Amino acid sequence: MPKILIANRGEIAIRIMQACKELGLDYIAVYTKEDEASLHVRRAIEERGKESVFRISSYLDPNEFLEVADYTKCDAIHPGYGFLTENYRFARRLAIRKRPLIFIGPRWEVLREFGSKINTKCIAKRLGIPVVPGSDKPIYNEIEAENIALELFHRQWEEGIKRPAILVKASMGSGGMGIEEVTHPIELRRVYRRLRQYVKRQFGDEDVLLERKFPVFNHIEVQLVCSQHGEAVHFGTRNCTIQSVFRQKRIEVAPAFNHNYKYQFDPEEVTKRAIQYSLKMADYVGYDSVGTWEWIVTPEGQLYLLEVNPRIQVESGVSGSITKIRHLPVGVDLVKEQIRIALGEKLGYKQKHISFHGASIEFRLVAEDTKCGFKPWGGTITKFQLPKYDWLKVYTHVPSDRPYSIPSDYDPNLALAIVWGRDIEEAKERGEKFLNEIKIEGKNQEASIVTNIEFLKEKLKKIQMFE
Amino acid sequence: MLELEKKIEHLRKDLDYITDIKGEIFGERLTEIRNWLSEIAKKIYELPRERAETALNDIEAQIEFFEQEAEKYLEPLDYVRIARHPYRMTLKDILENVYDDYTELGGEEKCNIDPAMVVARATISRRVGSRVYTHQVMVIGHEKGHGEEFRNGGSAKPWGNEKALRFMRVAETEGIPIHTYIFTPGAYPIEDPPGAAQQIARNLYAMARLKVPIIAVISEGGSGGAEAIGLADLRLMFSHGYYSVISPEGAAAIEGKIKEGQDLPPELVKSCAEQLKITASENLKLGTIDRIIQEPPLGAKGDDFEFFNQLKHEMIKATDEVVLKVRGLSVLRGYYVKKKTGEKNNAVYVRWELDEKEISKLLKQRAEKYENMGRGFFADRRSFLKKRVDEVCYGWLKIKSLLYFGIFKRPYRWVKRFVDDLRGEFLIITDRVLRPFTNLKGAIEKKFKRPTVQLAYEVPPKEDTYLGEIYVSPLANEDRTISCPNALRYGCYDIWVPDLYGELNGVCPNCGHHFPLEYQWYMNHLFDKHSIKEFNTEIASINPLGYQGFDEKLKEAVRKTKRHSALITFDARVRGISLVVVMLYSDFRNGTVGAAEGEKFILACKRAKVLRRPLLAYVHGTAGIRIHEGTIGVVQMPKCTVAVREYIEAGGLYIVVYDNNSYAGPVASFLGCAPYQFAIRSSRVGFAGPRVIRETTGEDVPPDYHSAENALKRGHIQGIWDRRDFRKNLYMALITMGGKNLYYR
Amino acid sequence: MENIGEIIKKYKANPFEVYPVLTPHTGYVHLMVKLGQTVKRPIDPWQQKGGTLLYTILRQGNLKRIYAPIDGEIMDIKRELDEQFVEANTYLMSIRHPLTEDEIIDKILSDFLDIFRAPEAAKYYFVPELAKKIEERGLQKVIIQPGEEILIMSRMKRDIHLVYEGKPGIIHTVYFRPNVTIPEGEPLLGICPPERVSFINDLVQRIRLEWKV
Repeated sequence: MPKILIANRGEIAIRIMQACKELGLDYIAVYTKEDEASLHVRRAIEERGKESVFRISSYLDPNEFLEVADYTKCDAIHPGYGFLTENYRFARRLAIRKRPLIFIGPRWEVLREFGSKINTKCIAKRLGIPVVPGSDKPIYNEIEAENIALELFHRQWEEGIKRPAILVKASMGSGGMGIEEVTHPIELRRVYRRLRQYVKRQFGDEDVLLERKFPVFNHIEVQLVCSQHGEAVHFGTRNCTIQSVFRQKRIEVAPAFNHNYKYQFDPEEVTKRAIQYSLKMADYVGYDSVGTWEWIVTPEGQLYLLEVNPRIQVESGVSGSITKIRHLPVGVDLVKEQIRIALGEKLGYKQKHISFHGASIEFRLVAEDTKCGFKPWGGTITKFQLPKYDWLKVYTHVPSDRPYSIPSDYDPNLALAIVWGRDIEEAKERGEKFLNEIKIEGKNQEASIVTNIEFLKEKLKKIQMFE
Repeated sequence: MLELEKKIEHLRKDLDYITDIKGEIFGERLTEIRNWLSEIAKKIYELPRERAETALNDIEAQIEFFEQEAEKYLEPLDYVRIARHPYRMTLKDILENVYDDYTELGGEEKCNIDPAMVVARATISRRVGSRVYTHQVMVIGHEKGHGEEFRNGGSAKPWGNEKALRFMRVAETEGIPIHTYIFTPGAYPIEDPPGAAQQIARNLYAMARLKVPIIAVISEGGSGGAEAIGLADLRLMFSHGYYSVISPEGAAAIEGKIKEGQDLPPELVKSCAEQLKITASENLKLGTIDRIIQEPPLGAKGDDFEFFNQLKHEMIKATDEVVLKVRGLSVLRGYYVKKKTGEKNNAVYVRWELDEKEISKLLKQRAEKYENMGRGFFADRRSFLKKRVDEVCYGWLKIKSLLYFGIFKRPYRWVKRFVDDLRGEFLIITDRVLRPFTNLKGAIEKKFKRPTVQLAYEVPPKEDTYLGEIYVSPLANEDRTISCPNALRYGCYDIWVPDLYGELNGVCPNCGHHFPLEYQWYMNHLFDKHSIKEFNTEIASINPLGYQGFDEKLKEAVRKTKRHSALITFDARVRGISLVVVMLYSDFRNGTVGAAEGEKFILACKRAKVLRRPLLAYVHGTAGIRIHEGTIGVVQMPKCTVAVREYIEAGGLYIVVYDNNSYAGPVASFLGCAPYQFAIRSSRVGFAGPRVIRETTGEDVPPDYHSAENALKRGHIQGIWDRRDFRKNLYMALITMGGKNLYYR
Repeated sequence: MENIGEIIKKYKANPFEVYPVLTPHTGYVHLMVKLGQTVKRPIDPWQQKGGTLLYTILRQGNLKRIYAPIDGEIMDIKRELDEQFVEANTYLMSIRHPLTEDEIIDKILSDFLDIFRAPEAAKYYFVPELAKKIEERGLQKVIIQPGEEILIMSRMKRDIHLVYEGKPGIIHTVYFRPNVTIPEGEPLLGICPPERVSFINDLVQRIRLEWKV
């Protein structure tokens, strides 16, 4: 029985534990001092016992995972998302060290290709796939950056856009980190400099790229599942347009577009094209795991590749819950698929066996002040109760039976909830019902808990729309 | 009575001196005399004057006998003792007694920027027939003082050497000769600006082409400190002085691997002193000095007036010699000066001012003198045939470059210059005419001008983004992690060794700390593929002093590195620009410089000069001058500096890049004198290591004392380069910096 | 000012502090000290050499030597962990540290300085401009003004610039270490208005005198 080290925390750790349990695999869990009270620790202790759970110094230090993996004789490491997920050096080290370990994710070569946004854009360009206009090379100095920015502004002025803007992005950034907006060329240098400083500290790499910002757009994703045996299937599309100001997704909907709405373009055609492009690119690089291709769709139906996420994503569950393979019940766990693939199994099904049923919405419940620039809230949660329904799936690491203080080193995510409905309208209704029934209390020295529930409710009405 | 007391005092001092220097060979006999002397001193008022006088005379004779006896048995270490003794003559004594009159410049006694370095404008006179001629000279030298604390034992601080240089320039302006007196155990090893090493290098660089005759006299010649004022046209040495690459104690500590704070075994110090060949006669044999000035037995003390008189004539003669060598009308006088050695009365008169032609001859001779110094102390492992072939090749190169640059390119340059000027003039006119229109256009245009940037998607060129796959350091073949030394400060995680020495190029991804990499890495990553062509590989280091046990060490180094010296010279290209590279690497005897390295260096300078190529000195590491080659090693400092100066004067571009650890002699000469010096991050540049600093100054220095950051702060280097950007930066430096005669200019 | 005597008495009665020694990360531990042994922190001014080796920890082929951070006596050492694999933050031993005069002064002073406290549990850094100034001029020569950004609070992956709002003053003491999470409400900086510097110095003098008695 292969043993898997779960090199992550919170709800993804719980999801991986669940997947392991269902696949009949053994696992080892880790946690840091700040996470002692997290449910993922409790669950691991309950399931596997105290000797399968280890305290480490940081989720970012590869040596900690390897030392624990060596000590416990693990065979594979699941990085989850964030932290070391897209660190190709980590994946490569697992592959070529004296005692090799399986990295549950794509090959390290692929990770390296997609690790830099600049490089991703180059590959796309080679394949004739449209990318967001902007810089395509590392920028070395501020003058160069300013010239490119001016060019981008000019183009938008020419198009008659009233409030043109560009984005300054860290090439290595992910999950909404390391992106800033510039609305006037004068601001550029300041933002550019600040971002470089930030990026260097966070990612240890200074490369920054500039991209045009679209005032109105939808952010859609294509979920691919590829095996090591050259098989590749897609699991449909998602719409992740609802984000925080820091570009962290808050609501995800599958499928990407609502067929009852009127769009200026044919949604069927656009999603088909996105899927085609994604599969083409996956084929080109020899992709061999679960991955997501992110696209920007303008109100006119223009499609641009944004980036590739070579990992399991937070929102993978939303696609899974509307998918049906052959005659099995609706609902596929992509984490399970990812682990299976990494262990060398074949998919066991083809695209024609996959069908989609109903619609699904995912909410990310976060302790943040949406009215004050999404400022994270820190403090102790005293009461946390979520409703239970058969159309609802919830992943949380926050215990409901005892007070829990939110660790300050990580994002204050509280829970992940996936609502399923026969169609999008039903899913929306159920979503609203779920949001209304959450009971949460907590406080810190100054105030009681602030969450994004109201924000989610408000935005729920506007999903899949352009505005 | 007073006279007698004085005499007693004098004799007592003599006795002390002889006890200090060579007391051990006389044993009880010295004590007897001492008792005798004190007895007389006690009864001086009771004894009849005559009896006392005779007794004292007896004692004096006895002491003189002892002195002569001791002189016969002097060993190398005794010369060190003599040179360091507080009774030994000092520069002040010489200024008082050799020169007629003097004015101290740049400070007096304690009120001085550096009391260890004395500069004086002095006159020296000679009688020819019945006429007295007075010459003006600049006297520069170390002042040890007779035991005064503030003199710091003649160990000049960086600003002391700077003062010396300042007044050398004054002498140059005024056209008067310079007499330097070297009484130093070594330079004071501190980095405070202008920096010990850097200042010595600057001094050497300036002296290499100082337009006045320079005469140097060595009493105590401690390595780099001595060279700071020692690059002279004629180098004399006192017979009882010593001239060495390192103090015998220092050598013993290194040789015996003695830990700090432990006592040095006296036998080891003694044997080191012998092996280092530090005495005047040995140095004369090695050719590092030109002549010896004979001192009275056991050396000259502060009151040997007769000796000072002799010294005066020696100095005049030496200056005459230098001047006459470059003077047109000098046949008779030249002969006379040469012939009449030891003659007390100089019967010739020589004017010491030089004209332009004589100056250029002087400089040429100086360059030749140093170029030839230390020749024959390295081996040339080429076969006879190869030598001839190489000679022919070099000759052909010379002709070729003369043809190309001198004959073919020159007219082209003239025309180009003329056209440039013409265009410049023309621009003024067109600008005048067009100004009103351009102003108007500017007013109309938008506030933000649209730049002419193309947003085309191109695959970035592979050439300069990732070179790591060509050569991977052998250090990377180990499955383990390593801690970054800055981990505590910056929270760096342990780095996996294969990553670190592979893709990360030995740089901590978090804080940018550079871990050392072997020199081969640079050879493979810095230059264009297959562009490296080594030359002079057969010039080999040998053991010129016959230093005990060094032959084995040398063999071991050759076996380990498969090379014959610590310096690699080669032609290479950086993004298409050809250059000549010299590379000091630490695997061979710690990158120390000796005769072979010096020779290879000057040959590379010459090659760069002939080919009109930039010269890059990449210092992968150097621990200084090779102590096993003694003063032959030390003279590589002036020798190479002169070569560098010649190269730069000829319009070349000389860039130095330090890496890892670069210390001592080379930094204080041919490296430190470069106008463009850079350092790789996390490297250390300096004069002496922390231990030597602690032992000489008695103070501890912070761990980052020699760091590149601090060197930059002190102005010793011009910039810090990231290893990963080395190639890019080097290319930019080649394109943007100096050198009027480079082939690509 | 009056109750200084009492405070000092309190410290005199028990002039010790106990420092727990925790492992920085996972790995195999090898203890190098015994119960009751006196240990010394590095002696040279740059804290690099001469400290007592407390234990070594081996992780992924990298043997780290951990030296005593402070003078004192070893107590409560977990011998059973010797040669064992341990988790991060495992308690190994304690060092009973006799407080020195300067440390007591620091402790007492914290009552008299304007303390800038951590608004939230986070990691703190000086803003680069201020860090540069401090490096150039030395800590106690830099006057900070209200409205000036002084610290960066790095929390939940976000950087927030903190603005100083107290009276202008010099930074007398820095309590935080970079890269370490500081709990909410812990002191970060001890700030002292320039005109109070002499008072603080008097206070220091007085503590010194009384401490010696």
